[in-house]
Amino acid sequence: MTSDQITLTVPAKSEYAKTVRMTAAALASRLGMTYDEIEDVRMAADEAFVYASDTLSADANIEFRFTLNEDGMEIDAVLGVEEPGSDEDSDRSVAYATFILESVCDRFEFASDENGAHLRLFKRAGGIDAG
Amino acid sequence: MPVRRSPQKQTRKLSWDKAYTKELFRRYRETSDESVRDELITMYLNLVKYLASRFRNRGEPIDDLIQVGTIGLIKAIDRFDIERQVEFTTYATPTIVGEIKRHFRDKGWAIKVPRRLQELSFRVNQAIDTLTQRLQHSPTIAEIAEYLGVSSEEVLEAMETSEAYNFVSLETDRGGEGSDSFSILEYVGKDDALMAVIDDRTTLSAAFKKLTPQEQHVLYLRFFEGLTQTEIARQLEISQMQVSRLLRRTLRVLRENIVRE
Repeated sequence: MTSDQITLTVPAKSEYAKTVRMTAAALASRLGMTYDEIEDVRMAADEAFVYASDTLSADANIEFRFTLNEDGMEIDAVLGVEEPGSDEDSDRSVAYATFILESVCDRFEFASDENGAHLRLFKRAGGIDAG
Repeated sequence: MPVRRSPQKQTRKLSWDKAYTKELFRRYRETSDESVRDELITMYLNLVKYLASRFRNRGEPIDDLIQVGTIGLIKAIDRFDIERQVEFTTYATPTIVGEIKRHFRDKGWAIKVPRRLQELSFRVNQAIDTLTQRLQHSPTIAEIAEYLGVSSEEVLEAMETSEAYNFVSLETDRGGEGSDSFSILEYVGKDDALMAVIDDRTTLSAAFKKLTPQEQHVLYLRFFEGLTQTEIARQLEISQMQVSRLLRRTLRVLRENIVRE
């Protein structure tokens, strides 16, 4: 399978968390992920969304880029702002996101480039059977 | 509720340093020193802000949510037992969220999940248990859909309904569609005997009881001992995926308690 890319841009408002979760779940299902894996994906997508919407004001947009590969799915949340400040609030936010993401993703990273800050995470498909 | 900012701004990168938190609690228990309590409040104010932010855009000013959440934090600080093998953050979260939810309830706030979805969600959960046993692995969405004779989309929709993710559904209609249906929230915090007859997931203690000793152990190794999933897997002689699954389940219980009390 070639790698497919799907992009979803939503306002940073909590009512769109569901849209992001369901999109992530539907795409994960396309990859044949199991229920357990999809639950992980949903939680990861949710956490990415919450982290992103904590970082941004409600009138901002968050772009989610989903990349589907043979081995799994990458979710790249583009926050479109400068690196969030490192005050106590964002430290806490990062620590919380880390806490959850460590448990549900195979890889994740906070990064930044010319488009602004990113939260990138990866979930492997078929991990259950391999385990 | 007056919440004073500690005069010395936290320089600690992670101000919720576990050892330091324990030390503060020990000092507070021994001396009942208000300034120690204030420092604890200040340290964990960000937890309140974080949790309150999860309920924003629900028609209540965020400052109000932070304020009621802080009341929850203070309650948690006063009740926290340092001998317990649980981190303060874990202990305080349901209390803080409980206060925030109570605030919404007092404002008469409620949203109901459509009954059709509740039922499908229930059937999907049963199907997952059945299929996991039969197939000896977690089923795919297609397998669940086929088993139930519904579409994959419907299964995904039902998963979305599962309470763990429904930050919106403070209230669940447990009765029929009639006017005599009642809400879990009407009972929360009222009467322990009543609580017992309601869904297990509505109380924190019941939720923790749902964790198996193995899950509790894994949680302990991961978040108290700070072991990685692979290290835990080696120690318990199970696969890393099993560890991941166990952790996820415990996290889900925590999540459910972020939503419900």
